[in-house]
Amino acid sequence: MTVSAPRYVGRRMLRVEDPGLLRGEARYVDDVDVPGALHVAFVRSPHGHARIHRIETARARESPGVHAVVTGEEIGERGRLVTTIPTRPDEVETATRTLLATDKVRHVGDPVVAVVADSRYLAEDACELVEVDWEPLRAVVDAEEALSAGAPLVDEDLGSNRFAHIEFEQGDVDAAFERAAHVFSKRFHFGRTFAAPLETRGVVARYDAGAGELCVWTSTQFPHLVRTFLAPLLELPESRVRVVAPAVGGGFGLKVQLFVEEVLVPMLALELRRPVKWIEDRHEALIASGHAKELICDLEAAVADDGTFLAFRGRYVGDSGAYQAHPWTGLIDPLCAASFLPGQYAIEAVRYEVDLAMTNKCPSSAYRGVGWTPGQAAREAMIDDIARALGRDPLELRIKNTIAEEGGPSLTGCSYDGGSYVRAQRRAAEMLGYEALRERQRGLREEGRYLGIGFSPFVEQGGWAAGVARANGFPGYAYMDSVGVTMEPDASVTVRSGFHSQGQGHETALAQVVADQLGVPVERVRVSQGDTAGSAYATGTYGSRTAVVAGGALLHATGEIREKLFAIGAHMLEASPDDLELTEGRISVRGAPGSSIDIADVAATAYMGADRPTDIEVSLTSTRSYDPPQTYSNACIAAVVEVDVETGVVDVERIVAVEDCGTILNPMIVDGQIAGAVGQGLGATLYEAVPYAADGSPLAATLREFTYPTTLEAPELEIDHIETPSPVTANGAKGMGEGGLIGAPAALVNAIADALSPFGISIDFTPLRPEAILSLLAEPRSYEAP
Amino acid sequence: MSAPRPQEESLVRLTVNGSERRGVAEPRLLLSDFLREELRLTGVHVGCEQGECGACTVLLDGEPIRSCLMFAVQAQGADVRTVEGIPAEDGGLDRLQRAFQEHHGLQCGFCTPGLLLTARALLAENLQPSRAEIAEHLAGNVCRCTGYTGILDAVEAVCDGSDEEGAE
Amino acid sequence: MRSEVDEERSSKPLAAMKPAPFEHIQAVTVDDAVAALREHGEEARVLAGGQSLVPLMNLRRVRPRALVDINVVGELGRIEANGSLEIGATVRQSEALRSPEVRSLAPLVVDALHYVGHPATRNRGTVGGIVAHADPVAELPPVLLALDAEIMLRGPNGERRIDARDFFTGAFSTAADPAELVGAIRVPRQPRGAGWGFAEVAPRGRAFAIVGAACLVELTGERECREVRIALLGAGDGPVRAAQAEAAMHGRSVDSAVLDEACELAAADLDPPNDFHASGAYRRMVIGALVRRALEAALGRAEAS
Repeated sequence: MTVSAPRYVGRRMLRVEDPGLLRGEARYVDDVDVPGALHVAFVRSPHGHARIHRIETARARESPGVHAVVTGEEIGERGRLVTTIPTRPDEVETATRTLLATDKVRHVGDPVVAVVADSRYLAEDACELVEVDWEPLRAVVDAEEALSAGAPLVDEDLGSNRFAHIEFEQGDVDAAFERAAHVFSKRFHFGRTFAAPLETRGVVARYDAGAGELCVWTSTQFPHLVRTFLAPLLELPESRVRVVAPAVGGGFGLKVQLFVEEVLVPMLALELRRPVKWIEDRHEALIASGHAKELICDLEAAVADDGTFLAFRGRYVGDSGAYQAHPWTGLIDPLCAASFLPGQYAIEAVRYEVDLAMTNKCPSSAYRGVGWTPGQAAREAMIDDIARALGRDPLELRIKNTIAEEGGPSLTGCSYDGGSYVRAQRRAAEMLGYEALRERQRGLREEGRYLGIGFSPFVEQGGWAAGVARANGFPGYAYMDSVGVTMEPDASVTVRSGFHSQGQGHETALAQVVADQLGVPVERVRVSQGDTAGSAYATGTYGSRTAVVAGGALLHATGEIREKLFAIGAHMLEASPDDLELTEGRISVRGAPGSSIDIADVAATAYMGADRPTDIEVSLTSTRSYDPPQTYSNACIAAVVEVDVETGVVDVERIVAVEDCGTILNPMIVDGQIAGAVGQGLGATLYEAVPYAADGSPLAATLREFTYPTTLEAPELEIDHIETPSPVTANGAKGMGEGGLIGAPAALVNAIADALSPFGISIDFTPLRPEAILSLLAEPRSYEAP
Repeated sequence: MSAPRPQEESLVRLTVNGSERRGVAEPRLLLSDFLREELRLTGVHVGCEQGECGACTVLLDGEPIRSCLMFAVQAQGADVRTVEGIPAEDGGLDRLQRAFQEHHGLQCGFCTPGLLLTARALLAENLQPSRAEIAEHLAGNVCRCTGYTGILDAVEAVCDGSDEEGAE
Repeated sequence: MRSEVDEERSSKPLAAMKPAPFEHIQAVTVDDAVAALREHGEEARVLAGGQSLVPLMNLRRVRPRALVDINVVGELGRIEANGSLEIGATVRQSEALRSPEVRSLAPLVVDALHYVGHPATRNRGTVGGIVAHADPVAELPPVLLALDAEIMLRGPNGERRIDARDFFTGAFSTAADPAELVGAIRVPRQPRGAGWGFAEVAPRGRAFAIVGAACLVELTGERECREVRIALLGAGDGPVRAAQAEAAMHGRSVDSAVLDEACELAAADLDPPNDFHASGAYRRMVIGALVRRALEAALGRAEAS
């Protein structure tokens, strides 16, 4: 049996999500109609670190419209989160977090009291009446200081601020460094930033006593895992908990953690027997949701005289903040960075050491590209330093050391399934007009203008699941990712997907796959997503995985349905299934076009036809899982910038991105992901920061300080694709979405350093805001090959 | 400190999306919350309540304003238009909305209503803005998903008429 | 009137995003507004465009018990041009930006307004509001200094005028009395043939500025500087004139050496503040370059006329 050639996959199809979004009809968590809902506001710690001696709530309880005022003491240990990496008992500690702070607070914004009232306005009024007797303690806001002796303890039960220590070595590192003609080192401190989706977090919970079901709407990326984590914490069977991710206004990894508010709000709903709603405000988002990517990298490279990279060594110090992201822990940044130390370079040995420090800051979270972003920036900045020291072109030095296009195992356990590692770099250079650009750079320097070019080639994981998780040092348990597909009696198709979108267009892309596989028009395929009651179990949308994991599961599920369609069709046509083909909605006998039937007739027969076969399974529904092998996309991003050396302002003139993510489902969506991620890369490198004062006060408390890039910062962006289908995934897709944010910061850092190379500067931190640029110019260092 | 008792509510009457609407509001109720809660116009999105992100932008007497920085009681008798009130043509999308779809100028959709209304005001001036001028006009609307390329492409296409070329 | 913004609190994070309760008082005349301000004293605030005040109220950094809404006080909403330019306090920034009178009499004001917020905030934000709020990085105050403008105040004792340079007394602080409100700004017509320029640095796009310069220059036929005004934002507690830089240019032939000297002196005697986006040291370093850019624009315009 055969299926006709794909009509939809690979096409720039407009999104089915769009009309509803454009008309403002989409329902985000704050829009969900839950009559009678009460509103929650939190009293949050104003101190970076403090003991709680007494909480006085009497006046708050009497405030107008208040239904409940709940402290940590009343909640106790109920619903507490326990977070660790179970496969690393000797390397990673275990963190416990109660839903509300009890004896002490560990960061500004740490929730202490929950106030439930008729409106958010009234709840905030009551919050002001809560009196807390604080004993401020010394705070620690620097990861290295946190790891040093005498630092105040963030988690006293731990006895130290070192939450994890992991070491890894492969190959003879010492020998490589011994024989190397040059040893280069680079210290890089990537600044703390924040995913900052435009829609903040939010949770609404309602317990339907009649139906015996708790329904929780939450702006999340992984509703099934929220359910699986939540049910035992609330002492409910999972079968009585329904979690719904409504329309989500951006996730970017921030919303792929379980937050204490997501447990507290349902708990309050259960206790008060009223629906309860909490919508995070922008201030809470800035100080108490999840920060990301802060990483101190100390790298060394052993390099031969001819510029061959022999080995890399790296020490990574991550900063988890005051609590551990659940379930990943704060290792999501440093451990991922370390696992990708080799990148796409053919080195013979690698060693890394990872330390995760706890500090009195907002907990860290995943954020698009996680630790690969700072790891990439540090390594690529070092490579540019090496190029300058050795007098080599930075692009040629990289290409010389890049792995062969067939891929292969990396020293850290990643299994690259082949790509266009060199081709992508060459193509990027071609798009830049690299040689002419160098000419232009020379000319401009004579005029006292400073143009710079930076390259950032990289491998990125796709389809995060067991294989990739393990390769990155995380537990490689099986991931349960499945999709359900049902062909209805009229041959329209419903897809029950646990991979819902927060903007990535899955309702369209997955429909394209199914339409091709079942030979139905794409308008007849509906993707139902985000509701645990209406979707097959999946671990959610994150880690560039949907095209690979959902795509693969869909192939299996649609394949099963197709087999049944052919079996029933064969029965109806009195032919053998092997002689049938499916073309444009009809099943026909190959070579006998007169002998054919409409799929709708086959479907109708399956459900209610008198002549349906009785010896085969006829239900046209299938739920199938897929746990893909490791797969890796590759890309090269290049940036062209001009630096105003009088003010330190950086103008990003152009960004070029060449992406190879294997089989593409919808090129428009892929381009959109690249553009968005590059934009976030710009933000993280040039415009955004969430720094802390020594006492633990977060300095970016409003959007006056945390400045998102706007239309005025959007550079000219050119994208090109190379399509090297994965030889190992079910559909040849490799996964993408994070690349722009993995690669763009490194490209920008290198472009700025290149622009300012006449001044002999070396860049070892982000963000590179105007004052930072001027400070670099004020302290030039000369870089010589040691 | 003692919190003052909430002030009395009053009736606010105004025109919203061409219809007479009314709702109750105490003085401190923000226009954004009034539109969303009282009038159930949830297409008005709230992103910061500081006027910085632009998600809450609505048209007041034809001009884009931040509904999170106005009190409902100040909108007595006003003419407000939200995204729900963008006049739809056959298919339910107007020209600018279709251009956004065509050029992938939206992903999660949270910034989209505010952007559409802000861009509408620019188009109403009926000029031929350059891409740079379009960027300047839209710089007060934050989008975290798209990197702005699709948005600028969409508005530019409508401004220079290229969206109507080759239409089927 | 001393601003109620608690400077210490403003560096501590806060727990709210909905305002505290208040009484909304709709003034119809200036007298209504003044009477209400008098009655409520320190507990009252004037509500004009709200683009600066309401964010502070939403954060509960400012919690007036009474808001005196002047948005429908007709007499405050006019632009008048008769020799000099008078812009009523509640004139929207967008209206001032588009106004042919403002453009012809005080184009420096138009230049600066382009940097203020965004179209949506300019549609509500008022000219008077910028002045009354006195943000040390606001664009209009230094422009008013450079143009020798006056602020017209209305209060219980009637109307009074005060020079802009005496009006801005510090960060978020003005010389207005508690029961006074800004009635209008009066800007002398920019001298014919004078050139003007404005330059600023911001962390990105149209974010709040870090530091900036507004300049006005008049040249004689022989490119001698007859008059020069250089006013700065983000360079002190409030807007300041770069007096030494002005002195270096006054009466001299403006060649590149004189320009260099003036720009070097621009940061003299200044104690620029630190804030999230930049330190005082950065501001001091950058002022010279911004003054140069604003002066070059001004000189170009002066020569062209």
